Amino acid sequence: MGITRNEELDEHLEQLWYMKEQQIITVDFMKKALKQAFDPKIVDALSAAGLVVLGPEASAIRLTDTGEARARQLIRAHRLAERLITDVLGGGDLEQIACEFEHTVSLELVNGICTLLGHPKECPHGMPIPEGACCRLAQKAEFSFIIPLTDLKPGESARVAYINCRDDRQIHTLEGLCIRPGAMVKLHQDYPTHVIECEGSSIALDKAVVANISVWRNLQESSVPMPAVAVPDKDTRGVFRKFFNYIIRKK
Amino acid sequence: MVFCAVEQENNYSRAAVRKVAIVGLPNTGKTHVFNNLTGEHGIVANYPGTTVEMQRSLVMIQGQRHEIIDTPSMHSLYIHSEEEVAVRSMILVEKPDVLVQCMDAGLYRQSLLLTAELLELEIPMVLVLNTMDDVSRQGIQIDFQVMEKLLNVPVLASMSLHDLGKKELKAAIGRAKKGVVDIKYGFRIEHGIHALTAALPFDMEFKHKIATLLLQKDPLLEKFLEGRMGAETLAPARLLLNNIRSQVQGNWRQMINDRRNKWADKVSAAVLRKQKTGGQGVAYHLTQASRQPFWGILIFLCLMALVYLAVVYVSGAMDRMINFLAVGPLTRFIAGFALPPFWNDFLIGNHGVLTLGLFNAVGTVLPILSVFFFIFGCFEDSGYIINFTVLTKNFFKKIGVPGHAITSLVLGFGCKTMATLSTRGLTIRKEKFIAVFLIAFAIPCSAQLGISMSILARVGLSAFFIVFSVLILCEIGAGLFLNTIIKGGEESWFIQAVPPLRFPGMKAVARKTYHRMTDFLKEALPIFLLSALGLFVAEKAGLLGVAKQALTPIIVDWMGLPKDILDVFLLALARREAAAGLILKMVDTGALTYIQSIIAVVVTTISFPCVANVMAIGREMGWKTAVMMTALIFVSSFFLVAGLRWILVICLGP
Repeated sequence: MGITRNEELDEHLEQLWYMKEQQIITVDFMKKALKQAFDPKIVDALSAAGLVVLGPEASAIRLTDTGEARARQLIRAHRLAERLITDVLGGGDLEQIACEFEHTVSLELVNGICTLLGHPKECPHGMPIPEGACCRLAQKAEFSFIIPLTDLKPGESARVAYINCRDDRQIHTLEGLCIRPGAMVKLHQDYPTHVIECEGSSIALDKAVVANISVWRNLQESSVPMPAVAVPDKDTRGVFRKFFNYIIRKK
Repeated sequence: MVFCAVEQENNYSRAAVRKVAIVGLPNTGKTHVFNNLTGEHGIVANYPGTTVEMQRSLVMIQGQRHEIIDTPSMHSLYIHSEEEVAVRSMILVEKPDVLVQCMDAGLYRQSLLLTAELLELEIPMVLVLNTMDDVSRQGIQIDFQVMEKLLNVPVLASMSLHDLGKKELKAAIGRAKKGVVDIKYGFRIEHGIHALTAALPFDMEFKHKIATLLLQKDPLLEKFLEGRMGAETLAPARLLLNNIRSQVQGNWRQMINDRRNKWADKVSAAVLRKQKTGGQGVAYHLTQASRQPFWGILIFLCLMALVYLAVVYVSGAMDRMINFLAVGPLTRFIAGFALPPFWNDFLIGNHGVLTLGLFNAVGTVLPILSVFFFIFGCFEDSGYIINFTVLTKNFFKKIGVPGHAITSLVLGFGCKTMATLSTRGLTIRKEKFIAVFLIAFAIPCSAQLGISMSILARVGLSAFFIVFSVLILCEIGAGLFLNTIIKGGEESWFIQAVPPLRFPGMKAVARKTYHRMTDFLKEALPIFLLSALGLFVAEKAGLLGVAKQALTPIIVDWMGLPKDILDVFLLALARREAAAGLILKMVDTGALTYIQSIIAVVVTTISFPCVANVMAIGREMGWKTAVMMTALIFVSSFFLVAGLRWILVICLGP
């Protein structure tokens, strides 16, 4: 696979993002991490393009705002691709595909995938996925494979796709109760408190925690129609259902 | 190094005493096993976090002395809350010879994760599976032979509320051995663990496990090790740790946990057999109903009515019976001797040692407590209380008691001291402060609740409603007030496993009631007698009369109570039940009016937390806070009572 100069640039930018996550700014570290891929000419080119600033005697290196934006976009595409491959496509050579993917996708497509996956916050390795515009707007797709558990109706079951949360302690607690990717959960009730069932035990949780549990949409049972057969909002059935829900909720 | 020193210190005693630590997830029956093994009677309840302190007891097993240690629950050796640190530190420092892990069979898969971690410690282990009857009803079977073979440790079963064979358990502890846990972490992780193990001080124990935990970024372990071994000893390991972390991208905790989860899946697939059962039982539907708003509240009200009726009628009947059979004849018998007036007063006068001490404790307070403790024990064992908290979670959040603070608050209805200690798990200071305050403030503990019910029932059902509405309003008001004035506090989150309801075993509840009653007699009877003696002496010396005269402005004018109520207050300082017994007597003899009875009960409930409770607050929040809280409660109770009296007089007439 021939790597173009552009892709090499991208690899360097990504490495700089990793280093930023770890708060390291030495060029030496970058050299070690990139091994033979490290190319001083590319560093110069990045500096000339205003993507990085170099410290005295080129020992320190730091992303500029433009460089950071670019790197952020690359990392976002990379880690979302990893999520897409593990969650939707059922695994494969993560690194290989994700590396190719990140250089070719457009901003819109990345946001589309992000929305489809329900705005995940972490890649399968547990590294943070930088937030995109779509996450900040909390866009909901017409149809997404992965929805927060709060979107289920009481009595429905679904398989957990991932825990969409940056709080390690919360993930750990949930894992201790077997709420983790692949587990089947059933929403027992959503009022006055959310109670879900997992591996035979009932668990009461805050709504905020339930919202962090992203589950696979259950295509057969789902009460939300697929886009192909989407029913417009004005449909009377929808109104009736809303009314009915309202009555039940009230009770 | 320090680890090593500890071992030398313990060398002598270690040879003589083997340590057995009982560990496990919350609500998995650890204390039950402990009681069984030792014959002690630590309080057991179907409620997470009932045990807050470690308990130790010496037992002979196979001719050797064993120290059995009951521990508070822990979820994992990777720790993210201070409350669980104590258990892990105990294991790391004391190095128990045997670990007994209790598992709720219904939470089999969940418990396996902890099992994996404990096996990695390479301490001999025994597994005890509780509530086997519950799961077999759900059509789940656990193959013990396969499990023993897979993990290479003894596995025992016990039914939920019946006794686990003590002999079998002791035998299992005798043959406990290091188990097998074949988790393949993969090259990268294992390489990291090995490298780090080599960099740890050579004389350290549990190096492999500690290395794993350090890689998982356990925030509290580094602090713990540094405290014990000094930062310099750890410096090489820390350097290497940073190096490894920077080389391998990703979340180590998650990667390691993923492998462990795969192992647990494998084990549970091999061990669990599921078959279809014909629908869910009554208990299941009752559990579901108790969590629904409409049915839940209905069930709650029914249960409260049941408690009320039982406390009033059953204990009333017992009270009359004891009076008829024992107290009455005994009083007449003593009166028959025609003793000199001083001795007559000393024994059976108004402030007599027998009247206020023995008869009060055994004749008045004990019948009420026995009925109430029995019912309360049923509640505890059925798991109803924790299900009820689920129903009320959102309400509690509004008064500044979010998440896990609720479980502490509810424990307060059992014993306020225990409840206060259980707030140790709350990490956010604001939450903890509010919870501790509310527990100390207007929540009646079980003993008090039973007796207050009984007093108010004699005055009238309406008095019962008035007092409990007042107490509830006080709690809500205090919660709202504190929640607004105390600033800060990040949002905490709530994740709580709730057990299904089950029918409490009468034998277990009866035993628990018996132990609570004997504890009460052992603890309280001497105090009853001493305080009666104190009052008698004060009365004879004329001090009581002077004090009553001096406090008339406060007691009579401000609170609208008769001045004799000072006796009640003085007794309440010593022991609240004693005070309540005296109030009962005053109600019976007509010394208190309707409004006065209500006020007297409210005052004794909220005016001052008991001594043990204040000590617990001091331990959890610091002495300054404890003194401040007590003073705050004391002062605010006076204003509350004055306000209450004013409202009652306006509404009901003097």
